[in-house]
Amino acid sequence: MKIIKNITIGLSLLMSTQLVFSAQPGTTLASVNPEADRMALQQFFKKRFPDAELADYVNGIYAVDADSRTQWEDLESFPPYEFDVEEGERLFKTAFANGKGYADCFEKGGIGIRQNFPYWDKKAGTVKTLEQEINECRESNGEKPLKWGKGPIAQISAYMAWTSRDNVFDIKIPEGDEGALAAYLDGKKFFYTKRGQLNLSCANCHVQGSNVRIRADLASPSLGHTSHFPVFRSKWGELGTLHRRYKGCHKDSRSQPLGMQHETFRNLEYFQTYMSNGLVVNGPGSRK
Amino acid sequence: MKKLIAIVATVVFLPAAAMAETFDDAFDMNRAMHGKGYTFTWSGKQYSTDHLEEVEARVAATKENAEDLIAKAKAKNAEVANVGFEWKLTKGILKDAEAAMVSGDYRKALDLAAQAKYHARIGLEQHAYAENNWHLSVPQ
Ligand code: HEC
Repeated sequence: MKIIKNITIGLSLLMSTQLVFSAQPGTTLASVNPEADRMALQQFFKKRFPDAELADYVNGIYAVDADSRTQWEDLESFPPYEFDVEEGERLFKTAFANGKGYADCFEKGGIGIRQNFPYWDKKAGTVKTLEQEINECRESNGEKPLKWGKGPIAQISAYMAWTSRDNVFDIKIPEGDEGALAAYLDGKKFFYTKRGQLNLSCANCHVQGSNVRIRADLASPSLGHTSHFPVFRSKWGELGTLHRRYKGCHKDSRSQPLGMQHETFRNLEYFQTYMSNGLVVNGPGSRK
Repeated sequence: MKKLIAIVATVVFLPAAAMAETFDDAFDMNRAMHGKGYTFTWSGKQYSTDHLEEVEARVAATKENAEDLIAKAKAKNAEVANVGFEWKLTKGILKDAEAAMVSGDYRKALDLAAQAKYHARIGLEQHAYAENNWHLSVPQ
């Protein structure tokens, strides 16, 4: 019995190594294929968590860990971010000193558009995030920009996500636009690169290490990572933006973290949200 | 069955056997097992488990030497920050090194500067490694 078991293990190891070495990892502008990456990531998690539904990945770790899910469902029955959505709506609808408002800066008056962010801004030659455009809107109307991590910017972002719930993410990498593809590739490379004193990549924890206990926490699958931000996190005791989380996680590898809205973080968001295409907007969310 | 086992065994073990122990592997293993100040043999020659920076710090504990090593560590850290691989604690260690120098503890300043410079050097190695190997954890 034992020997037969060993043989199967040997064989499956063998096959998986061959798979890893025969396919194209897409590390250059010429070979990178975002759609193939998205399919491969879905396949990876389908194999790893055969019982999890694809649509459920917007729920982070709770998609794959039944134990913490029950607690979380209790939490979500009185959502801790409810006040923030209301406050976000109030801020969103409060006119600037010049009489204009956020609605004037966005398509469709800013309602139901979360699924289109971040996007490649060809003219500016960079990835634009929702939070970035909230601040650009303020500045072009003579208001001071908001701080990136928490507070009003997270609340306005939460309200805008709220009005977009259940809309399907549709991040585009415009065909034939090398700049857009390069931004995507930069984000992908950042995600898979080991760094810091602990020599860890995002993928080490959120792909190969997903649902593995790291100190007191289980790391979520990376699929769907950006779908529910901003997040009310119990540990923070408040709402925070995606880039606040990126900064904390970057630091967790014992690296000197990048600043929020740094170009590389925006590229990372572009890559991660593209991976979530087909999933729905589910923000704001709540997490432990 | 026997034949199958043999095939599996060779294929599975081949990569390990084909990969000779590199100097870095030998260094890391001996350093982990014996700490600094140990001598090991690799490819018929003797080597120390000391890091480059520990050797650099083994100079007279003077203000000039401390200043010099701190400056070198800062330059190395700027280099690694420039490629995005700066470690979290390095700046703090450099600050502590400077504080030790100001208070006249040149030995401590040298040791801390050496540690910071080591962080920066390994960060640069990480960067070089990543350039060629980052794809290894991309699911296919
Ligand atoms: C040492 C392991 C580790 C590393 C490295 C790491 N993370 Fe995390 N991350 C965690 C844990 C643990 C959590 C909290 C549990 C969870 O995933 O929700 C978390 C949470 C997150 C979340 C929130 C998930 C959610 O559902 O709200 C995001 C997004 C995230 N990480 C992205 C990243 C990115 C991007 C990187 C690389 C810069 C990274 N992480 C590196 C362990 C790690």
